[in-house]
Amino acid sequence: MNQPVRRLSIGLFAAFFALLMAVTWIQVIHADALKADPRNPRPALSERGKERGLIVSADGTILAESIEDPDDPRSFVRVYPQGEAFAHTVGYNSFLVGSSGLEAAYNTELRSRRDLTISDLIAVILGRDLRPLSLNTTLDVELQQAAFDALDGQTGAIVAIDPITGAILASVSSPSFDPESLNGDDAAEVWDQLLVAPGGPLKDRATREVQAPGSIFKTIVTAAALDTGTAEPTTQFADPVEFQLPESTATISNFDGRVCNDGISVTLRRGFTRSCNTVFADLSIQLGAEDIGITTDAMGWNTGLDFEWTIPPAVFDTAALADDPAALGQSGIGERDVRATPLHMAMVAAAVANEGFVPSPYLVSQIFDADGAVVEATTPTSLGRAMAPASASVLAQMMEWVVTEGTGRAAAVPDVRVAGKTGTAEGAGDGPHAWFIGFAPIDNPTIAIAVLIEGGGNTGESATGGTIAAPIASELITLWLFGS
Amino acid sequence: MTRNAEAATIVAASVLGAFGVTLVNFARDGNLDAQTALTFLIFLIAFGGIHLAVRTWAPRATPLLIAPIAALSAIGFLEIYRLDPVRGALQRWWLLIGAGLAVLTLALLARYSTSVLRRYRNITLLTSLILLLLPNLPSAWAFPLRGLEVNGSRLWVALDVGFTSLQFQPAELAKLGLVAFVAAYLADHQRALREAHRSIGPIKLPEPRQLIPLLVVWGLSILILVSQRDLGASILLFAGFVLLLYAATGSTGYLVVGGLMTIVGGVGAYLAFEHVQRRVVAWITPFEHYQDEGFQVAQGLFAMGTGSLSGAGPGLGRPDLIPNASTDFIFAAVGEELGFAGSVAVLALYALVVTIGLGIAFRSRDIFRKLFAAGLTFVFAVQTFLIIGGIVRLVPLTGITLPFMSYGGSALVGNLILIALLLRISHEEAK
Repeated sequence: MNQPVRRLSIGLFAAFFALLMAVTWIQVIHADALKADPRNPRPALSERGKERGLIVSADGTILAESIEDPDDPRSFVRVYPQGEAFAHTVGYNSFLVGSSGLEAAYNTELRSRRDLTISDLIAVILGRDLRPLSLNTTLDVELQQAAFDALDGQTGAIVAIDPITGAILASVSSPSFDPESLNGDDAAEVWDQLLVAPGGPLKDRATREVQAPGSIFKTIVTAAALDTGTAEPTTQFADPVEFQLPESTATISNFDGRVCNDGISVTLRRGFTRSCNTVFADLSIQLGAEDIGITTDAMGWNTGLDFEWTIPPAVFDTAALADDPAALGQSGIGERDVRATPLHMAMVAAAVANEGFVPSPYLVSQIFDADGAVVEATTPTSLGRAMAPASASVLAQMMEWVVTEGTGRAAAVPDVRVAGKTGTAEGAGDGPHAWFIGFAPIDNPTIAIAVLIEGGGNTGESATGGTIAAPIASELITLWLFGS
Repeated sequence: MTRNAEAATIVAASVLGAFGVTLVNFARDGNLDAQTALTFLIFLIAFGGIHLAVRTWAPRATPLLIAPIAALSAIGFLEIYRLDPVRGALQRWWLLIGAGLAVLTLALLARYSTSVLRRYRNITLLTSLILLLLPNLPSAWAFPLRGLEVNGSRLWVALDVGFTSLQFQPAELAKLGLVAFVAAYLADHQRALREAHRSIGPIKLPEPRQLIPLLVVWGLSILILVSQRDLGASILLFAGFVLLLYAATGSTGYLVVGGLMTIVGGVGAYLAFEHVQRRVVAWITPFEHYQDEGFQVAQGLFAMGTGSLSGAGPGLGRPDLIPNASTDFIFAAVGEELGFAGSVAVLALYALVVTIGLGIAFRSRDIFRKLFAAGLTFVFAVQTFLIIGGIVRLVPLTGITLPFMSYGGSALVGNLILIALLLRISHEEAK
């Protein structure tokens, strides 16, 4: 009788062995996948109420901070004292809908490493500091707030960077939202409302949305022309009412539908300052897609940028435009399939300011520990040279003429040499996208800026880069240089 | 291991339970309080009491059985307490009651020996069937013993005792009685069952005459359980019966027929009961039906996966997100908070209990005691496998409790008596 019992024992132990294998699969082999499953609320819940590090502006103003929860002294709530102006850049940190911005990009540093595990205990015994690290950003509180206020609720974005180092001085997107509204138990509902809210307040238009750049793209075409020697400010172009695109029935005309100069000939200088499409369609085709592409790629286009988060690549498709002069003519004025974020365009202005060197943009200057000691400091880097110093210097002069005698006169600042370029691109909404890029002062540049107001802003159809974007640039440059 | 070493492991298990409660309190930011001392004392009294009863009434019993039981109870208790301190407190009192009844079992059997169960097997049977039928008593009548319907199943009985009403599941005790009856019946008819048989092809089966009474009893019990919608107990009883038949006769025919009946019964139940269909869906595709049927299974897997190697720590995971964590899914709660290490320790402890139970069966010379010990161990092992297997998706969930760990008074009482019976058999055979 022991024989069948023995056989059954073997069967039972096989069953227990199967349990052991299944447990091993779930808790060892497959554990990471189960942990990372978006439906598993545990990883996020374990972060809830924990202390996170500070995020501060360049001058030390607190942008994000964990304060003691008034309802539960053991836990923390995240507060964002500077509110909506910083929402996209600083980000939010919700246990329900995830995180964004710097909160997401530096989650590893910002989160408390106190997980109450055995390894924590060992770390404490070994004298390691488990308190969260903090971030010192490059953002200027006044400039950021002023930029947000200047947009005045219109859909758009502003990016200002230090043209030499690439430090981001301001990066705002409008409309915005209150990051604290995503802290609570109702975050999912708030999130759903924000997703469908007019203007898409969750979108970061400064760094994560590409748009047609329109005429500000002429800065790049001009840089390529100067670099290759194809043209200089005095070079003469034909001055038709309409430029006939080759191998096509389509034409390109100027913004006001008139000739650029006298109907016979026009210089590049006048074509640039008055932003004449006929001249730049002509010039782009003369240059060819390859030469423009070399300049865009040197500006960091058509590829990812090394940044705190993933930035959609700015697009100038050299290969597709090489055999299509008609499309190239339209692309040369920043239309058709050319796309860039305001950050990319601020980098273009910075490159002109910085003798052709393209600074690599960054937001965090230092990571410091709970005692204030610097753990890691960012060294500014450059993407390399996008144009020769001589070309940059000529282009800066041409951009100054835009502000002194051209379409960008509204960007002028008394007693300061301001360089700029306006753009008015075909928009999707009620009106065109109004752009302005520029930098100042020309002799010793300290700020490069890109302003974008989408869909005509408050002025609708009649909006242009010169009328609604340039004045904002003037205001912000004044604030930056003179503090008011 | 000696009896003294057993005493030491009981103290260790009590410390384990008390330490677990303390950690859970700390995780809640509480302080050292009476719960710690109370847990330590009750575990010490309960298992110490069984230990002393064994010393007195079953001194030759194996000293290996109480230690793993005490450890499993401590780990289970810590998770129950973590999930719901009120249930934890109740479970502690049930532990005392169960230990008391285990001591009583040992005392009574010391006087009559387990052979009394063989001699009066028909009384055991009758008692078991009455126990099984108790939940079918009317819910509203003057008599203090009433049946209760919970979640569409009639498994509960309420006994009104003046100030309060005690609720228990009589099937947990009936289970033991039915195993005793089947073991006794098979022991009495063992020779006839083995020698007189007919052949159906390659499968040899005994004379039907010998089997009919057993089949009737067994069919009746399962019918009662199915009518009460106690699916888990029906499966358990069925499996225990088939395994015992095979153990008694050695004819593989029973396993084959039992296997076929499992398939037919399983398909039949799937077609007949909507709640069985839901369980199968939850078993095969829990993540595809995350919002409804699969939620519990998926949460169990998330819990165990998040616990991974070392676990979140007592009181620091979120096993409360799993529906019915303290009853059906206590193993997943342990897996989340104590990690893979805890799960493996629990599996090892169960395997140890099963090994010791089978060892008692192996060493028994008396045929009834051999079959009884084997039957009790089979039921224990199959129950453990079914519920853990349900959580880790080896089999569909059957909604039975994990012995010694799940919250539930009747199950704890029944399982402590089961251990007392095994201890007594071990004593009687160690001559």
